[in-house]
Amino acid sequence: MIFPTDPRRRATWRWGGALAALLVLQSLALAAAFWALANGSHRRAIEHALADDCTFFRLTPPEERGEELREKLARDIHRDRFLGLFDAKGALIAGNVARLPAETPAGASFVADVAPTELPGKRIDQARVTVCPLSGDMRLLAGVDLDDTEEALRLVWRSLLLGLVPGLVLALGFGLVAGRRAARQVDTVRRLTERIMSGDLTQRLPVAAHPDSFGVLCAHINTMLDRLQLLITDMRGVGDDIAHQMRTPLTRLRARLDRGLRDASTAQDFAAVADQALVQVDALLGIVAALLRLRELEDHARRSRFAPVDLATLVDDACDLHRPLAEDRGITLACDLTPVGTVHGDASLLMEAIANLIDNAMKFGPPGGTVRVVLTASSEGPVVTVADDGAGIPADERALVTQRFYRVRTDREGAGLGLSLVKAIADLHGFRLRFADSESAVSLICTR
Amino acid sequence: MTQILLIEDDAVTADEIRLELTSAGHGVTLRTTLVEAASVARGGGIDLLIVDRQLPDGEGLVLIETLRGEGRRTPALVLSALGSLDDRVRGLRAGGDDYLAKPFALVELVARVEALLRRPDESRDTRLIAGPLDLDLLAGRATRGNRPLELLPREFKLLDYLARRPGRIVTRSMLLQDVWGYTFEPNSNVVDVHIGRLRRKVDAEGEVQLIRNVRGQGYILDLPH
Repeated sequence: MIFPTDPRRRATWRWGGALAALLVLQSLALAAAFWALANGSHRRAIEHALADDCTFFRLTPPEERGEELREKLARDIHRDRFLGLFDAKGALIAGNVARLPAETPAGASFVADVAPTELPGKRIDQARVTVCPLSGDMRLLAGVDLDDTEEALRLVWRSLLLGLVPGLVLALGFGLVAGRRAARQVDTVRRLTERIMSGDLTQRLPVAAHPDSFGVLCAHINTMLDRLQLLITDMRGVGDDIAHQMRTPLTRLRARLDRGLRDASTAQDFAAVADQALVQVDALLGIVAALLRLRELEDHARRSRFAPVDLATLVDDACDLHRPLAEDRGITLACDLTPVGTVHGDASLLMEAIANLIDNAMKFGPPGGTVRVVLTASSEGPVVTVADDGAGIPADERALVTQRFYRVRTDREGAGLGLSLVKAIADLHGFRLRFADSESAVSLICTR
Repeated sequence: MTQILLIEDDAVTADEIRLELTSAGHGVTLRTTLVEAASVARGGGIDLLIVDRQLPDGEGLVLIETLRGEGRRTPALVLSALGSLDDRVRGLRAGGDDYLAKPFALVELVARVEALLRRPDESRDTRLIAGPLDLDLLAGRATRGNRPLELLPREFKLLDYLARRPGRIVTRSMLLQDVWGYTFEPNSNVVDVHIGRLRRKVDAEGEVQLIRNVRGQGYILDLPH
């Protein structure tokens, strides 16, 4: 099976094959380069020697040439030289070559078959030769046996093959190991994700002490799982909370309806029961609506509506909206605005956040007190602060007040969703919510 | 009688809406799918569409877009269980004229339906007269009969809004949305207090009450006949 169907095994073969192919290509290139360079230099050495021979015999007087030639051949212990002195008719005067090659291209050396006379068992041999004319109507054939060169070429090829075999084995082995390793990692991730999908959110992917890129990816996935687990825990908690929060008013509503229907005798009585029931149903619907809005805000889906918002106008509108109510309750609403320019946001949401803060301040501050709304430009950016004369939120409860349904005081109306909403709106904008340490003040820092 | 085409696939919700609208004096035609609704709407004689977003055969906004593309300007109120104000923007962009997120109070629905059916008097006149009320829109001054009303700018805007919609319920969220320009449900009765102040100035002791509180619903400016 050349292409296994399992993608992981296919990857193994692919990696091994690619490495092997690379190795073969590289070896071939190396051998070719080696061969070309070695052959070139060898040929230059031969041509040099042949030219030297021609020069030597040209300078030697004709009558001494035979003797010199025999001496040269006797000195050739490798027996790879060919020398032949021919007369004008082409008959051999002295040497170890029977005859001149049929064609003798003028000038440089060429490869030709020569007929050796002194090599036992060899009637014909390949050699690089040159034929040079000498004085006295003589011609000299000088040549070098190419057996050595062929031998060298064979050696190159053999070493190449011998080197390739372990190389190929190594490449395939490495591909196999690398592929296996990748497959093992994928398998681990797959097994764990299956367990996570089946509901076990505590599972995490293994990350080595010095992670490779795959390990970094696993670490990222783990971070994502942490967040997911947190969200799901949060959601379950919210589900419990909602059930708990709705149960009490629903029970009360049911009891009231039950009692009202039993006791009522006139149409007015029934109407009064229904009216009271409506008020409570509205309150419940209010909780549902607030929860839906919280979810919507936490989905971060509303950023598409963001536009420049003039904070001074917004805070002024919030004061204008709440002033009559404050006056009715005997509270002084003091607003101090510095123009701070615009922020990027959703005007209605920011208004809702500030309205909630003012509402809280009026609700939890002492009667007859003052609620101060201050807009300033600080080094951190524009800050909206809402403060009252009350004791504020106890330090150990500040982290809790933005949780859903958390109520510092249960002697006031409310479902404990106001500050959750403010926090969610701040988060959506990338703004921060800060509770003052020494006074009852909440600040919305309107900068990212 | 006005004819309202209601497109809603939830039988209970549809029944509630139909009862409420019928008792307010409107005729209601109910369809549960977009295809049926489209043929009714094209048939004519419909004054208003109430369209649910999630219907068995698709997205309600598509129907509105289609009708608008055909040049039909029948006002449309979009209902949605998605409960998101972002959806509100999409709904209005698709050609809807108003948007209500479920769960909504039926009175809110009726108030908005009537607001759509009887477009307010958006005249650019410099003077608005409603019964004994006389509003000078340029100067921002108002009188009731011969008595000048000492109104703050915001109170004047509220009275202007009510005076353009005499005899019709105006809800708190409509006021907050149209007079202040913010879309949210306030926790406290901030809007009520504003109306209360306006009422004390408009309706002096011994005079016929013009601004009436409809309990749990909103306000109506009643004009004496």
